[in-house]
Amino acid sequence: MGSNYLERVKVFSYNLISLTIFIILWFWVARWQASPFFASPAEIAQGFMQMVTVGDEEGITIFMHLWQSLIRVFSGFGAACVLGIPGGLALGLFPFIYNRTRIIIEPLRFISPIAWIPVAIVLLVGFTRYVFVIWVASFFPIFITTLWSVRNVNLIHINVARVAGASRWFVITRIIVPATLPYIAGGMRVSLGISWMCIVAAEMIGGEMVGIGRLILKSSMMHRMDLVVVGMLTIGILGYCLNEVFIKVEKRIFRWRAAVSID
Amino acid sequence: MEEKINREKYKTLGYNVLTLFLFLAIWTLAYWLIKSPFFPSPLMVFNAFLELLIHGDIEDVKLGMHIQQSLWRIFGGFAAACILGIPLGLLMGLYGRVYDSTKVLIEPIRFIPPVAWIPLVIVLLVGYFRFVFIIWLGAFFPIFIGTLLSVRGVNPLHIEVPKSFGASRFYIIRNIVLPSVLPEVLTSMRVGLGIAWECIMAAEMIGGERVGIGIMILKYAQLIRMDAIIVGIIVIGIIGFGLNEIFIFVEKRIFRWKEVVSI
Amino acid sequence: MSGRKVKIEVRDLCKCFGDLEVLNHMNFDIYEGEFLCVVGPTGCGKTTFCNVVTRLLPLTQGAITMGGEEIDFKKHNVSFVFQEPSCIPWRTVWDDIKIGLQIKGVNKTEVRRRVNAIIELTGLTGFEHFYPSQISASMKQRVAIARAFVTEPDLLLMDEPFGQLDTRTRFSIENQLIEIWQKTKRTIIFVTHNLEEAVYLSERILVCTQKPTGIKEEVLVDLPHPRDITDPKFVEIRNRVTDLVKWWE
Repeated sequence: MGSNYLERVKVFSYNLISLTIFIILWFWVARWQASPFFASPAEIAQGFMQMVTVGDEEGITIFMHLWQSLIRVFSGFGAACVLGIPGGLALGLFPFIYNRTRIIIEPLRFISPIAWIPVAIVLLVGFTRYVFVIWVASFFPIFITTLWSVRNVNLIHINVARVAGASRWFVITRIIVPATLPYIAGGMRVSLGISWMCIVAAEMIGGEMVGIGRLILKSSMMHRMDLVVVGMLTIGILGYCLNEVFIKVEKRIFRWRAAVSID
Repeated sequence: MEEKINREKYKTLGYNVLTLFLFLAIWTLAYWLIKSPFFPSPLMVFNAFLELLIHGDIEDVKLGMHIQQSLWRIFGGFAAACILGIPLGLLMGLYGRVYDSTKVLIEPIRFIPPVAWIPLVIVLLVGYFRFVFIIWLGAFFPIFIGTLLSVRGVNPLHIEVPKSFGASRFYIIRNIVLPSVLPEVLTSMRVGLGIAWECIMAAEMIGGERVGIGIMILKYAQLIRMDAIIVGIIVIGIIGFGLNEIFIFVEKRIFRWKEVVSI
Repeated sequence: MSGRKVKIEVRDLCKCFGDLEVLNHMNFDIYEGEFLCVVGPTGCGKTTFCNVVTRLLPLTQGAITMGGEEIDFKKHNVSFVFQEPSCIPWRTVWDDIKIGLQIKGVNKTEVRRRVNAIIELTGLTGFEHFYPSQISASMKQRVAIARAFVTEPDLLLMDEPFGQLDTRTRFSIENQLIEIWQKTKRTIIFVTHNLEEAVYLSERILVCTQKPTGIKEEVLVDLPHPRDITDPKFVEIRNRVTDLVKWWE
């Protein structure tokens, strides 16, 4: 117990050291570059303070940007879960459907969300545009992971239930679903990360002035590089936090599993 | 046996073609029902495809040229991601402490979307390197994290056996670690290539150039020419799908000793 | 064996995978409450045999009947102890053992009574709320056996259930198995490649031939339990079985 605690303190301080070194290096490079487009850590800290207290040129604080973006991301992610998990389960249970419709499903996977933006602008309005673009990005990871995990359920566990006379329903609800849940959760985590990373793409659609992606786009137009970096770092740090929280929850729920991997 | 498998293959192929036709039929039906200038029929899309292929776009750049340019950019970014991601992943997998101590830097950067880098890239880089950098960002992390995890996942037993014969560290890395991580490295390369291809839109939003499949979509997006936009989307999807299939085929070829190559 | 009621009739049983013939015209009876061992060389199709008897795999030709009817999981009470570890990782020991009763819709007080009884019998007391990842391999195998016994099956199939255990645990579980069998008098088909184990446990041994699997000979083991492996009679039967299987090479 004690050595475990010590190990944690050690890792924490090493991280702190590497962070400090990184910031010092950044200072140096900014000094040496001396470009108005290369913001130094101090300028970024100032920019961040400005975003927290006053807000951007339109008086919108970073919290309002984040709040709007989070609503959009979770709506798109929610839609992806609602469609992807049952869809993946169904196509996993009936693999012939997937095999026979692959020609449609597979190419769709490789179209980037940004490519859908023109289509979304023309065919959809308002909030649904954001939801659609984020949904496009996060649907496939959930869907494919669920499908794949159903196919990989250990046959023995199914046979244990079948020999005892279980119905198809029992096998699905008590064997297949619990067996796939950890993988589905993993797929959801990856998807959430991807949805979050899509926020900039989604907010390119334009129209509204609030949103963390919008902040980056606005600031880059006004050549406020410090605010661009503030936006980027906020996205990165929040994405990282969401991921870590998700891992914690997964570890809690699936205690019966040995390991939850980081990817 | 052989004959049966072949028959099964043809059957699946036939069903896929059928699904494709069904999809086109539904699309045409939707076109008749919606009757909007922004919702083209499959035939209009096909016409636009022919026009782009033979005559080129509004600036007389042919579709083949667009694809070629985009592939060239992807190749650059993907190669850079492999060259940096694989050795770094191996290194950090072997020396877990390095990764644990720099997690605070690496992880948040993972969650900054490539699009968010565009403003910085425009300021800091020029020409071909801009594209390469954006695509590198997208492809680097899957390859890096995949390699790192695969090194950590090497069966300890396979390391203990040569160790008990007095093998050197170098021998173990060369003869045990490398061969056993290779399949997973290749898989993460495939995932990375998929993501690199998805990033082509983000990369080509940088602007400046006139050739590239993403640029073609953006050009027509400004004209709201949906037929040409859809051609671009489909081409992106099919090329991504094709690249993935080729990679899977190569993987299966090389690693016949592995039972399954997952999708 | 005459005078005992026939429980299961296997008639002209064949199983092919494509052109590969695995089971070749097998014919035999299994009596009520009998402990039958099936021995054969590794890779001779013993697992296929189990899967066909339990109807997890469809048979190519022939019939397996139980009381005049084809075996059906929903009608007949069959249990199967698999060769591979088969504990369900997300169920605790208690939940895992109860799965058969849960499927068969046994009421809660009865489930509690039976599961507690079998847990005590298999020496798993105190581990009811552990997950499979937290217990040892031999305990997992005992969970699988408890799970099979708890439904009080009419037919219990065991496919090399002790293959992965160390000798000591193996002896103790074998004795437990005999004890449970003597108390409950269930019909058991026990598949193994270990001849000593077969002679130690069973009432009758079916010796199989090399692929395609058929029945070469039947050996009766008419010794009282508990058996002594150094007893001359025991050694004699074991040598006979060994002679029969030498021919495998």
